[in-house]
Amino acid sequence: MIMAIDLTLIYRVLVFPGFVFIFVLTMVCDWISRKIRAHMENRMGPMYTGYHGILQPWADFIKLLAKESTSPKATNKTIFKLMPLLSFTMIMVAMFFMPIDGSNVIPGSAFSGDLILVLMLVTIANFFLFLAGWSSNNPYSKLGGSRVLIQVLGYDIPFFLLALTPVFLAGGVDPTTKILVLSFTSIVQGQQSIWFVLLIPWSFILFIIAMQAELEKDPFDVPDAETEIVGGLETEYNGASLAFLKLGKDVQVVLGAFIIVDLFLGGPGLAGGITATAGILDFSAFLFTIGFVLKVVAVVVIIQYVASLWARARIDQVLKWNWKYMMPLSIGAMVLSLLVAFFWNGLIHF
Amino acid sequence: MASVEEKIQVHLNDQLGGDAPQVQPIAKGKVFIQVEPSLLKGIVKGLIEKDELTGLIAITGVDLGDTIEVMHHLRTMETIFTIRTLVSKENPELETIIDLLPGANLHEKEVTDLMGVKFTGNLFDGHFLLSEAWPKDNFPLRKDAEIPSIDDLIKNPVVIDEPESIPGEEKYLNITIGPQHPALLEPERFQLHVEGEIVIGVTPRLGYVHRAVEKACESRTYMQDVYLVERICGICNACHVTTFCQSVENILGTEVPARGRYLRTIAAELNRIHSHMLLFGHAGLEIGFQTLFQYTWRDREAVMDLIEILTGNRVNMAYITLGGVRRDVTDTLKDRIRTDLAKLEQRMPFYKNLYENELSLRARLKGVGIISREDALKLCVVGPVARASGVKIDVRKDDPYAAYDEIPFNIVTYNDCDSLARLKIRVDEIYESIHIIDYALEHLPDGPIRVRVPRSVPAGEAVSRVEAPRGELFYYVKANGTQSPERVKVRTPTFANILSFVHMAKGINVADVPPAFVSLDPCFSCTDR
Repeated sequence: MIMAIDLTLIYRVLVFPGFVFIFVLTMVCDWISRKIRAHMENRMGPMYTGYHGILQPWADFIKLLAKESTSPKATNKTIFKLMPLLSFTMIMVAMFFMPIDGSNVIPGSAFSGDLILVLMLVTIANFFLFLAGWSSNNPYSKLGGSRVLIQVLGYDIPFFLLALTPVFLAGGVDPTTKILVLSFTSIVQGQQSIWFVLLIPWSFILFIIAMQAELEKDPFDVPDAETEIVGGLETEYNGASLAFLKLGKDVQVVLGAFIIVDLFLGGPGLAGGITATAGILDFSAFLFTIGFVLKVVAVVVIIQYVASLWARARIDQVLKWNWKYMMPLSIGAMVLSLLVAFFWNGLIHF
Repeated sequence: MASVEEKIQVHLNDQLGGDAPQVQPIAKGKVFIQVEPSLLKGIVKGLIEKDELTGLIAITGVDLGDTIEVMHHLRTMETIFTIRTLVSKENPELETIIDLLPGANLHEKEVTDLMGVKFTGNLFDGHFLLSEAWPKDNFPLRKDAEIPSIDDLIKNPVVIDEPESIPGEEKYLNITIGPQHPALLEPERFQLHVEGEIVIGVTPRLGYVHRAVEKACESRTYMQDVYLVERICGICNACHVTTFCQSVENILGTEVPARGRYLRTIAAELNRIHSHMLLFGHAGLEIGFQTLFQYTWRDREAVMDLIEILTGNRVNMAYITLGGVRRDVTDTLKDRIRTDLAKLEQRMPFYKNLYENELSLRARLKGVGIISREDALKLCVVGPVARASGVKIDVRKDDPYAAYDEIPFNIVTYNDCDSLARLKIRVDEIYESIHIIDYALEHLPDGPIRVRVPRSVPAGEAVSRVEAPRGELFYYVKANGTQSPERVKVRTPTFANILSFVHMAKGINVADVPPAFVSLDPCFSCTDR
């Protein structure tokens, strides 16, 4: 019995819904992003590797892995090599707390504060990216790294505030401490009757904008503005390190889509809701995954669609918009959502 | 109405009194005077006071054997006014005019580097256009210059030092743009001195694509030179050839047939449309707006196709030649050009709307890279850059060539002086160009398209200018009676505009540097020649 549980766990961590599943989903989402971008711009996008170039992200990743990996002379090699991996790891750890097939990758690992943990891990991942740029000892990388920090730390505040709005609506209360539960499970369960995007659309729209900034997509792709700072923090990276930097970015997009789906679009499953347990060959888990993947793809399409409509903003404009518009708007969205939560929870739950 | 010569003579007599030099013609409608070096500055000052649009076009140096002739070509009183001064070869020195016209800075440096004429007040170390490996005191444009072989040059390789900081300002970060950089399509180095995200100064280094075209022209025949100057710039090649041919035709006294002049106009305007469309895409790329880039370049493709069916080539046309043009246009071709351009015209409101109303574009371009009208005049900028600053200069109207005196069109000017205005002005110019081509096709005269010209050109000299897509393009050609020219001087629009970038980059955000820079439509293979 103990043996069987261990095997399930290993399967869940390594294959589904763990590493392999996330990796494949990331590559597919990357391909979809590139195709959407290309068709928005009147191009074809990748066409030659696999069906309509579906294997192109794989080819790019493998090619980078095969390249020689060097590091500049005057750098701390340990930090330089370690940071891309650490950043990637943080995002992957955050992934493990997302209910993908109805429960988390490691069943039972969900706790009453995992929403905060995931958002914090994303911030830490970005901090590691900054260190990666700073350790390159190159003006472009340093500027790119500091831009990541300035932008992401600034937008973290509205991002966190807006992530709290679904919590009010879900209204899950810890039975012993009597305080609100900040967990994905309670938010997803709160959406069994209606998706929160329909109750608080303003929060959803603002959250998409904040997410655009967190993911460094246009109009917020200031940290890798190639015409200003060449490769940004990636300038000195090559080979496997660059592969992991790029993969980390792609996984971050998928994680962002996961968070949006869980907070506003009913979480895993086509309708919404969540299962308590999950086995290896559970048909309901399969359905949950299908629904989840479809929603994630839809969000990725939205993110990429928005990105191709805009020119890149300037770093000071990005910051000004944050403090001038995003902050007051997200506080307003929070107040408004509290009001909605009061009526919604008051009428239905209590 | 008094002729140009009389007007300038009257002005000089007023200024200098009885000992004013006699004004003489240099080419059709262009005049020169020969003065002592000491008088040069006073005359320039007088001209600036008389006509505020006075600006320096170019400074040409010609080796006359014992002496070096330095010519200041000034744009004044609706003509090109050339002031000749002679300096000795042993100690060639002249007074600088950068305190009167700061835009003369790079022109003087070029003459110093290539001709060895020192301008007191504007001295510099090292080289300006030539490679750092080039020996000192070897001035390649002098007739007696010994050109070192490439083996000698690569013996002492050039080490580009670590970015030098401004003396006493070591705390500033230096960001080097170029020679290889994603924001530059061609190699050139700009050192930005940055405090935080604010640029406090720019040090440019030109010459990375210096191909010595001016020197090479002297050893080729006139017909070979037509092909050579066409290759100075791939984008505005029609304008380079037109200017060179006009200069040579001027010396020869050749009259180009009317049909040839109209066809030259059509080729030049197609050239202008595709150059402006290219810039829109490039500008989109610089501000991270890939979608705009892809859209404009798709629409530009139609113009490239028209250029191909009209001239036979997509890029380097090889269409305009001495005495006229090479290929005639048929009625089918006329219809094709008209319909395709009508389609393009239907697309233009979309771009105009984009530049006027799109939020993220406006946020990036509005108020960025200001060149005020006063600065534009002082820096002697040309073309759309000048017109976006409210300076109404356009060679097509001021000094009509080809068929522009017979075709009605408007000069577009803006008074916003920023990057957005410099891009918007090009949208409007595409409208004008389409109408010019329509009119030219409608009123295309019958007759021959070219006349034959002799291989040898009699001794003489001429100046000529056209309005290239990027602004006024200037050529000075001196013939010595043989099959090759004695001297060919090329002053490209980007060379005149590049100083304004250094000026407007001061105090702007690092992120604003690419959009401010690209709004000049820089072309470095033009600049370096």
